Amino acid sequence: MTRNEFIRRLKGGLKGMPAAEQAEIVADYEAHFDAGAAEGRSDTEIAEALGNPGRLARELRLEAGIKQWREDRSPSAAWTAVVGILGLATIDILILLPIILPIIGVIFALYVACVAVFFAGGVVMVAGPFADMDIAVNGFAVFLAGLGIMGLATAAGAILTIVTIGFVNVMIWFGRLHYRVIQPAITSNDE
Amino acid sequence: MAEGIEVQLKKGVLGLCVLALLARGNSYAYEIASRLSAAVDMGEGTIYPLMRRMQGEGLVSTYLEESPSGPPRKYYAITDEGRNRFAEQASEWREFVEAVEAIIKTDAELGAQAEGTDDTQ
Repeated sequence: MTRNEFIRRLKGGLKGMPAAEQAEIVADYEAHFDAGAAEGRSDTEIAEALGNPGRLARELRLEAGIKQWREDRSPSAAWTAVVGILGLATIDILILLPIILPIIGVIFALYVACVAVFFAGGVVMVAGPFADMDIAVNGFAVFLAGLGIMGLATAAGAILTIVTIGFVNVMIWFGRLHYRVIQPAITSNDE
Repeated sequence: MAEGIEVQLKKGVLGLCVLALLARGNSYAYEIASRLSAAVDMGEGTIYPLMRRMQGEGLVSTYLEESPSGPPRKYYAITDEGRNRFAEQASEWREFVEAVEAIIKTDAELGAQAEGTDDTQ
């Protein structure tokens, strides 16, 4: 593989990352080629020693995703990290998919349920006291009940968030274990 | 599978080796990669994801320094946190090696004894 070919394949693998970060990574590898050339090594020799650019790009993407997740616990950061892990897509990740996808589905459904219960509580709180009911109920009690339902939904949502963070962290742990130990990038021709 | 354990061990201790090198003095990625690849036979490219991760974890910091030839080079320096991590991992590694060594030695001794008494072993 030539230097240009290596850089081209690396860039291809980094697509979708922030431009500044891509440029920084490419500059690192360009500098590596320069330093190697200064020692009299040929481009092909250096590219060979560097390893598979596609796989390196996937590791770099995953690291970037994990870093973003650490700094910013947002749904989009979680998504980037999880996609990064799935991007390593090798056989045992595929085996895990039937387990992971339902978990993601259940978490999503529970969030929707929390939001729905929250709004239902809001309706009870606002409209309840004015509803025309046969049983004599204190309007203020209904108001409090509505408020209570909203509080419960919020608490459930908070617990769910903690569970989700834990789930993403386990995924990250697994992903790193996977590329570091189970399928390392030490060998250049692993694809 | 035969190369499995060797590769896994090397990959696992790469971070420790990088911290050890940087504890002796600041260096740039090419130099770190060539020293490690000669010693532990790793793909040189692996150094970059590793350095980015260690930088993200605050174990190393970077700065630019003029190089005798060409553009300025990105140097890595170990941070205080990196030194702590290095001390931790180095002692973990030594404990691990000693434990494995003890088991291997015992087996070798047992083997020698068995050979002495029983030729079918």
